[in-house]
Amino acid sequence: MEKTTCIVVGAGPAGSACALSLSRKGIDTILLERGRTPGEKNVSSFVLFMTELKRLIPEWEEDLPVERNVVRTDQAIFTGNDIKMITSYNYDKIDDPITFTAFRRRFDAWFAKKAKDAGAELITGMTVTDLIKDKGRVIGVRVGDEELYADVVVGADGYYSSVGEKAGLITEWDPARCTLGVKEVLDLPPEVINERFQVSDGLGCEMGLWHYNYGKLSFGGTTLYTNTDSVSLGIFARVGELKEKNVKLHDELDKLKQHPFIHNFIEGSTLREYQAHIISHGGRIKPENLYGDGVLLCGEAGGLMDTASGMGVPTCMTSGLMAAETIDLAVKKNDFSAGTLKNYLKFLDTTSMLDMVHESKRYSDSLVGNNAGRANYMADIADSYNNYWNADYMSKDYHPLFLNLYLKAGKFFVPSLIRWIVTPIVKGFSLYKKTVEKIKRKIRSRFYEWKKQYDS
Amino acid sequence: MSGKNSMTVDEKMSTVKIKIDKEAHITVNKELCKNCTDRPCLIICAAENYKWDEKSDDLVFNYEGCLECGACRLICPLNAISWSYPKHGCGVKFRFG
Repeated sequence: MEKTTCIVVGAGPAGSACALSLSRKGIDTILLERGRTPGEKNVSSFVLFMTELKRLIPEWEEDLPVERNVVRTDQAIFTGNDIKMITSYNYDKIDDPITFTAFRRRFDAWFAKKAKDAGAELITGMTVTDLIKDKGRVIGVRVGDEELYADVVVGADGYYSSVGEKAGLITEWDPARCTLGVKEVLDLPPEVINERFQVSDGLGCEMGLWHYNYGKLSFGGTTLYTNTDSVSLGIFARVGELKEKNVKLHDELDKLKQHPFIHNFIEGSTLREYQAHIISHGGRIKPENLYGDGVLLCGEAGGLMDTASGMGVPTCMTSGLMAAETIDLAVKKNDFSAGTLKNYLKFLDTTSMLDMVHESKRYSDSLVGNNAGRANYMADIADSYNNYWNADYMSKDYHPLFLNLYLKAGKFFVPSLIRWIVTPIVKGFSLYKKTVEKIKRKIRSRFYEWKKQYDS
Repeated sequence: MSGKNSMTVDEKMSTVKIKIDKEAHITVNKELCKNCTDRPCLIICAAENYKWDEKSDDLVFNYEGCLECGACRLICPLNAISWSYPKHGCGVKFRFG
């Protein structure tokens, strides 16, 4: 019976980061990947942020396989008729790059190779079909007829995590809380890209158009970003809503390509590849379901992905690194039970991960079900320029632009003003209560100590 | 809306590289589909692998052109779809994901 210390399932950003970190700590690690090459099953929707990676691999610049260094980002509220856009062009990032566009098949393979070079055993073409358990404790994985044993199994196998499912940590997948994305990679000559996106050679641009009440859907988005000699154009929307409103997402993408704004960027391009992928939409898994006896979940498998901000790779890497820290601790204690692996939450709490999960759940809540408040509100902002476009001073009903903007602003400021006033009062009151409790407790313990001394 | 230059899904799918597994990774209990009123699988699949044949009143399904997004598994109201990832390194190979 072959046995190792740790099996990491999935050689994506989370799995490879975990395996790399474990190998550097001298822990025997096997990294399993279901694709023939790591990354060939993955589809990215925006740029890749490299802060974590640069810290992890200081010599990244030598051979990191990237397409363009993104220095310009355009984020917009999009209702179809109206696009309200904020552009950020950061000149610092020309010499000190942090965001890149990359093809995942090359990027993930590169990252997995770094883990392999550090000592992890990378095995590709291996789809985990089941977990091996002993009295409820995970002791290995089954790949077809083969069995691999380990002290601890890390599930870094994405949205449909078979590790999470078989370990009983994930019990349901909610269509309302996940988004389907359909993407096309379109060939365009580099100089045409440079001209249309107003960037120079090697530099890139990403655009995120956030759909609010566009067409039949209350929420969705478009992503458009530049590769070296192609652009990636994708659309995403929640699966629950697509089903409810009977919308074909790939037809929506075709429709979008005819939209004058998008059409100007992609005119004359030819299709290189067609892709589809699914990701969660925040707050999918409760923190207490991230660990079990002999098992940990990280990356998208554990819902530890900031999909609401469109930043998957850095958050996945962070959770992978924290999983490695937890396993390091478990190896030192030689105890792989849930009791020790629970420290995963402590390690995660040293980063922004748990706050991120909390926040993205709140964000997701504001969009799920009948709660379309956010969508309506955002669409309202988008419409705030209506009076500009429909100026008509002959009409008695026409409100001049400044007044209208002021009214819209009031709609935003009044509720937040109330929140600003109420929150400190509530927080102050709870702080007051806590402090009183603390003082009481201190007095009580002092009293008992004094009493003990007095009695003796 | 289909513009003059827009491609059909079949044409788009010809750009995707797929290593076909002999063993189907998705199986559908087609008997259940006959009683299904919504059939959301017909609209959700980006590869249009699910089609309804009006003549035989039967679901026509093809696992070979699967992009492995898994949306069909999520939305099937009758749980007629049993879904797993393809094995032995088979299935879709995104070169520019």
